[in-house]
Amino acid sequence: LTHLDPGLSAMTPETARALWLHHESSTHTLSQQLTEHLRLILAPTLATKLRGDFRTGKRLNLKRIIPYIASGYKRDKIWLRRSMPSKRSYQVMIALDDSKSMAESGASNLALKTLTLVTRSLSMLEVGEVSVVGFGDQVNVTHDFDKPFTSESGVRVFEQFGFESGKTDVRKLVDRSLDLFAEARRKGASSAGEDLWQLMLVVSDGICDSHADIQRLVRRAQEERVMIVFIIIDATATTTISDPSASQGTGTQQGSTAEKAKDKTSILDLQSVEITAEGKVVRWKYMERFPFRYYLVVRDVRELPGVLAGALRQCSNDLES
Amino acid sequence: MASISTADAPTVQIRLSTRDASFPLPPDTQTNYQVPTSLRRVNLSQLVNNLIHTEQPVPFEFLVNGQKLRSSIEDWLTESAVSAETVLAVEYIRALVPPKKVRSF
Ligand SMILES: [Mg+2]
Repeated sequence: LTHLDPGLSAMTPETARALWLHHESSTHTLSQQLTEHLRLILAPTLATKLRGDFRTGKRLNLKRIIPYIASGYKRDKIWLRRSMPSKRSYQVMIALDDSKSMAESGASNLALKTLTLVTRSLSMLEVGEVSVVGFGDQVNVTHDFDKPFTSESGVRVFEQFGFESGKTDVRKLVDRSLDLFAEARRKGASSAGEDLWQLMLVVSDGICDSHADIQRLVRRAQEERVMIVFIIIDATATTTISDPSASQGTGTQQGSTAEKAKDKTSILDLQSVEITAEGKVVRWKYMERFPFRYYLVVRDVRELPGVLAGALRQCSNDLES
Repeated sequence: MASISTADAPTVQIRLSTRDASFPLPPDTQTNYQVPTSLRRVNLSQLVNNLIHTEQPVPFEFLVNGQKLRSSIEDWLTESAVSAETVLAVEYIRALVPPKKVRSF
């Protein structure tokens, strides 16, 4: 077994640059789409709820009418007003799976493409700070919250991925990222009165163990108001690694279905096995007990803007309610 | 022995196959399985029997990436310097049961 420094075992600077530029141009249209979606979800809506109780206002608060009459017209704060929306800022961490299974299943390329697409969109939006971490055996911060994310940052980040880690420690990732988020909240650029939202996007093939431990940490994240959305790259169903010409357009054409039907190694078909003390075999679909509440399964980068926006919308609704 | 579950133990993915026409894998079971790495031959045999629905349990031997599994998958991974990030090709063959010794009086 080799214990190489993750920074040394990864891509050469030339490869990283060429690959980043390729992904950047091939996902250009898609990142614009994603930016438009995110603008709607992440920007605070201008027309916020009507709130009471005021002496003058826009609409009557019907609940206040009877007490108003009963009090002999003394309790006259019966009007609703539109309250000002608070300014919102974001800290978004993208956690990219650097484990070997990513390379073996052919998910690594699609994962790097996803990383490019998402970081480009967030930079275009200018909603807050972006960080990128790699995880496998260890958690490695490849881009800090306090630096702006430019194309050059993208190249630097790519240089640190080699997809050679012999472990996928998602438990450690969630644990460590909660610390990183707590630290970022303290040092964060958001000023007083701003509403800080923290979001982690995990980009991975989704294969991990210790689901029980992870579930506990996911609950802790919820308590600390860190949203986690898990983007599962399901590349095993389509074995072709990359087709730049196909990913450029925004066409509605779906991937070859014949190819998918032949190969049944998709994470959606994966089964988990337990053997009881009595020797009884218990099987279930891996995804039925997936420890993250918000996840999406991506087979083609063209699907990403739509499905990611959907997951974030749901997540943000749940957090606001 | 307590139950061995993928919920809280290290795991690996396996892909089962066989060349024995008498115990084929039903088409709907031909997928990958995430199993605890602590599984041994006897546990894998239980899994295969569960998948192929035999009336009587059939003991199986296993070839992991072509090599006979003698202990747990975990030990096999360590000895072969293969990481648990790899999907293991696991072939099952009917175990050759040693002939029962005839008790002599
Ligand atoms: Mg992995």
